[in-house]
Order: sequence, then structure tokens, then C-alpha cells
Amino acid sequence: MPLLDVQDLRVDLPVEAGTLHAVRGIDLSVERGEMLCLVGESGCGKSMTSLALMGLLPRRAQLSAGRLDFAGESLTALSERRRGQLRGRRMAMIFQEPMTALNPAYTLGNQLCEAFLRHRLGNRRQARERAIELLERVGISAAAERLAQYPHQLSGGLRQRVMIAMALMCDPDLIIADEPTTALDVTIQAQILRLLRDLQQEMGTAVIFITHDLGVVARIADRVAVMYAGEVIETAPTQALYANPSHPYTRGLLSCIPAPGKTPPGSRLQAIPGVVPSLVGEVEGCAYRNRCPLVREGEVDAARCERTPELRRLTGDHQARCHYAEHRAATRVAQPEMSP
Amino acid sequence: MNALSSAGALADLAGAGPDTDTDIDTMPALELCALSKRFTLGGGLFKRGRALQAVSEVSLAIPRGQVMGLVGESGCGKSTLAKMLLGLTTPSAGEVRVDGRPLGDAGQKALARHIQPIFQDPYSSLNPRKRVAAIVELPLRVHGIGTPRERARRVAETLDLVGLPKRAAEQFPGQLSGGQRQRVAIARALIMRPDIVICDEPTSALDVSVQAQILNLLLDLKQEFGLTYLFISHDLAVVEHLVDRVAVMYLGRIVEEGSREQIFAAPRHPYTQALLASALTPEPGLGVPDIGLGDVMPDPSNPPSGCAFHPRCPKAQALCRETRPALVTDTAGATRVACHFASA
Repeated sequence: MPLLDVQDLRVDLPVEAGTLHAVRGIDLSVERGEMLCLVGESGCGKSMTSLALMGLLPRRAQLSAGRLDFAGESLTALSERRRGQLRGRRMAMIFQEPMTALNPAYTLGNQLCEAFLRHRLGNRRQARERAIELLERVGISAAAERLAQYPHQLSGGLRQRVMIAMALMCDPDLIIADEPTTALDVTIQAQILRLLRDLQQEMGTAVIFITHDLGVVARIADRVAVMYAGEVIETAPTQALYANPSHPYTRGLLSCIPAPGKTPPGSRLQAIPGVVPSLVGEVEGCAYRNRCPLVREGEVDAARCERTPELRRLTGDHQARCHYAEHRAATRVAQPEMSP
Repeated sequence: MNALSSAGALADLAGAGPDTDTDIDTMPALELCALSKRFTLGGGLFKRGRALQAVSEVSLAIPRGQVMGLVGESGCGKSTLAKMLLGLTTPSAGEVRVDGRPLGDAGQKALARHIQPIFQDPYSSLNPRKRVAAIVELPLRVHGIGTPRERARRVAETLDLVGLPKRAAEQFPGQLSGGQRQRVAIARALIMRPDIVICDEPTSALDVSVQAQILNLLLDLKQEFGLTYLFISHDLAVVEHLVDRVAVMYLGRIVEEGSREQIFAAPRHPYTQALLASALTPEPGLGVPDIGLGDVMPDPSNPPSGCAFHPRCPKAQALCRETRPALVTDTAGATRVACHFASA
């Protein structure tokens, strides 16, 4: 049984013009100790998905799900009180901006120990000991003295390390990390990612890592789910996804980034023309068809794309939401990428 | 084409094509000579503030029509450098030359005819209360160029040039997507027909699919108008794709400068090597490299002795703590590196 089992998760937000369908029926499952990367561009619903899983959606948002099970317990059936007991204890979150996620008015020690004490996992001395142990584990020197410091006294990289230590305080089963390294310099990012990956494997914590960076995904993920317009459009183990991207959007994303050794410097990059469809009101058919090269170049029967494709299994645990995931153009585009 | 004549700024969009002159101009389009900037922090009426040396003796020459990439971590002084080039802050020492002429006394307005910026965040760099046409027209009005009718024609041409639809002219920035807004910012920069464009992280606020469109546009415009770019970015894949030369900054100084091929194939400074190692290309199975730098950026107001990089450097020795290495040009004159133990 997976640790997290989500089926047909939907999040609707009332807006002036009607209803914004931010998440439009996604299926996700996360095994214990697994690193799942949720990747997509802004507005694809990846952050709303994470907030829905944590039970932190804005009050006006409406959530519905065919199934939303965490460790065998249905989250939708839980009272707010029971949900609060899970949050921070068994599911923890790491946010993008360590400056805004940490309270500037409290010491690090105070913030580190808060959840531990709130969930009654021990007394103050034990909380302090655990905080020091974890700060050392995330590579912060003079951990005991750091507990008396305030967030502004730390650099961005150190703050993000504190956030990771904080997420681990109660030894959760699942950590949701929402773009945790996007605000950091590349040198710091590499170190934080390495740390997160090491800790995750060492402690057997499952992680849902949300990012827009396909470079990061390639290096840390066990499995990837690509999101577009509120849906998961492709999901596969990392190697399989990069070796054989089957949804035209995934292929588009991969060819947008200049790849050293593959993209000649100064050459034109492949861009994805057009924009993401508005998610206000109902979206009919394949959400990507207006930007899809297969449709544009008349490679496929566009009428079929007017019908909403299902997320269907291609091979093993490789799934894609495209009527033409096996189309020959797919292999033609993918091949030069794979050849050395 | 004489870059300092105001006629250049007035030239017709269609007429002012690329520099097709056959004589190869060896004069760099933009030259920074020992440029320094010092800020004073926390000083009061009776209290002396601490000095922060944001930029130290940066010398850089960008040949006409080329792209110079400027990379480094946050706080290394690359944005301060950009501000000095744009005349938004005055250098404490050194000077900027355009086509060999110092810009120091030319004044802000003259400078703006030659150097224009494209900033990172198209959400905050455009006035939300002005229509796109007015935003793009503003530089022309400030400089008193053309009649209203001529200006309107130029605005329309420039919007077309950057790939915006006609209707965009009457829209407000809030009605546009991030990529479209960045096109507006590019149109605003280009309407003055500058020779040099300072691109400060122009795509880092954009999604990757949109980033590709904007990078293509910047490359096309460079080709078409013979523009010279200073391209500031933390994204090394983008830098490698776009630039001809790369300068690497650390704590206010250039630590290495060379051609794209040299920097990416055979970086000589340990900091450049670490920076390149930390770039995560989309290749599964490689994992995250251990670059062993530590994550404590030194305090610019209290820089380390000797080589500023020594506390994080895997190669550091006693000499590095005592003596700051000079930026030395190699025998071929192709690269510069500031390290006592630079790789060959």
C-alpha cells in the first residue's frame, strides 16, 4: 500500500469570472521513502496540489477527491483537529522562501522545538537535544549557539538548512518541498539538494519535491509527474521519462532548455508557442492541443484531440495523457536526444 | 555608425540595420576601466559607517556585436556593476567608455541613448497604470525625439519587432503574460536604438517555455541590429548558449574571464570550476555533485584577507590567506585569471 494515495483530486477556486479549476482530477501515489518530483510551469496547479495535501488550502478553495489516503487513513474524512495532529507531525512542508517561512520575531530554537512540543513528543530538554542533533546533521556548525539566533542572522542557504531540520523534527513520513532551492544560488542549491537527498535516503522519508527545473528533477527524483493546466500529463520513473518522453508537452519542455553539447551555442531554441489555456470554466478536450506540434503540423487527427484524453499506461509504470503518445513523430523527435 | 552622435538614436528602424561596414572596428563597444564602487553602511551624524566594497577594480572590454556573460553568486557585485553602466549609481573610481570615449561627464540622458537595460522582473519594471504604447514611447518623449505621429509609428514598429500583437499597444501590463511583459521591456529598451543592452537576469522570472522565446528574440535582435550585450545571469546553461565571452565575479572582483569555449571546457579558477560543477543539467543518473564549497558567502563589508575565495577554496594554501592574486592575462592574451594555483 502506498504511503499517499490520491485519486481524482480537484481544487476549485471561486474567482470574479466564475470558477477556476486549479487542479483538475489528478492521481498520485507516493511510496514510503520515495522521492517524487512534481514538475510544471507556473499556474499548472503544482503548488495548489501540495497545499491540498497538507490541508492548507485557502478557505474559499473547494477540494474534492475520489480518494485521498495517507498511511491508510482517509484525509477527507478527518476532522480539522485530527488533520492538525498529522500536520507537522507526520507530514511536513518546506517552502520556497526561507525568509518568509521563518518567523523573524522568534529564535531558531523556539521555532525548531515548537512542533515537537506541540505534538507532545517530549519535554523541552529533549526537544532542544533533537534540534541540536538535526542542526548538526544538516551541516550547521555551533548548533547550540544557533538556537538563540534569529532568522535574519543567517544566510539564505543556512536558513533553508534550518527549514529542513525543522521539517525533520518530528520524524515525518512525508515531506512536501515546494521549490525549496529556487531562491538560492546554484552552488548553495547543489549542496541543499544533496543534503535533502542524503537525509531522505537515510531516514526513509518520502518526499514530494515541487519544482519547475528539469535539471534538478533529473538529478534527484525517483519518479516524476509532469503537470500541465491542472492535470498530470505524464508520469514515469526518472530514467524512463528522460529517455522516452511521451507527451508532446514533456518533449517541448525538455527541448526548451539549452543542453550543453546538444544545443549548438547561439542556435534557435525550441520554444512552445502560445499560452496555457484559461482554467476558468470547463476545459474541453486535450488542454495542450492548441500548442501541440503534432496538431499544428497536421501529424494527427485534431478531431480526436477535441476529446479529453485519459492518463493511460504505456509501458510498466510509464503513463501519459495523450491520444498519440505512441505516435511515430514522438519517436522521431526523441531519438536524436538519446544518441550520444 | 558613430555611436555617440544623436543621429544614431534617431535613425529609422528599417534603415539602421546591422553594422555592415566591412572595416572591422577593433575598438570595444563598451569598456570598463578599473571600475570600483564603495558603499558606506550604517554611518550616522557622529559615527563613521563601515565601508562595503561592492565592486573592486573591474576592467572589462566588450567588442561590438558580442555578448559578454557575467556570472557569480548573489552579492558578488554584478548588479551594482550593471547600475554603474546604466548611470543609476556613480562609480567611486574608474570609468566607463563607450567606443573609447569616457561616459563619466556625458550625463544620464546621453548615456541612455547608448546603453539601455532589460531587467529581471517584468512584473515590477513596468508601470501598471500606463498602457503599453505609453511605456514604450516614454524614452522618446523624455529625449524629445520626433513628433507624436512619428513616435506612434516607431512604437508600433518596435512592438512588431519584438513579436507583440498590435492590440498589445492599448493594453495594460496587468493584461499581459510574463513573456509578453518582458517583450514590452525589450521594446522599451530598443526604441532608443541603443548600441549596448544590459540584460540583468532577463529570463529568470519566466517559465522555461517562455524563456526559450525570449532568448531567441534577444539573439535575433542582436543579429539584426548588431547589438552588444552584457548578459548577467546565474543560469549557466543559458549563459553557455548565448554568450561569446564570460566574466566570473566573486566578491566584487573578476576572478576569471575568457571565451565561452575556454570557460566551459577548461575553467582555470577553482571558483569557476565549482560554479560549473553545481549546474544541474537534465541528465538523470548523475546525481547531485559534491562541490565542497560550504555555503557561507563571506561578508563583503569584511572580506577575507588575501584571496577573498580562500575560506571556501579546496586548493587554498598559506599564500592565499596572505596575498591577493592579481588578475593575470595568459601568454596568448586570451584569458585572465586571478588565482595563485590556477589550473593550466
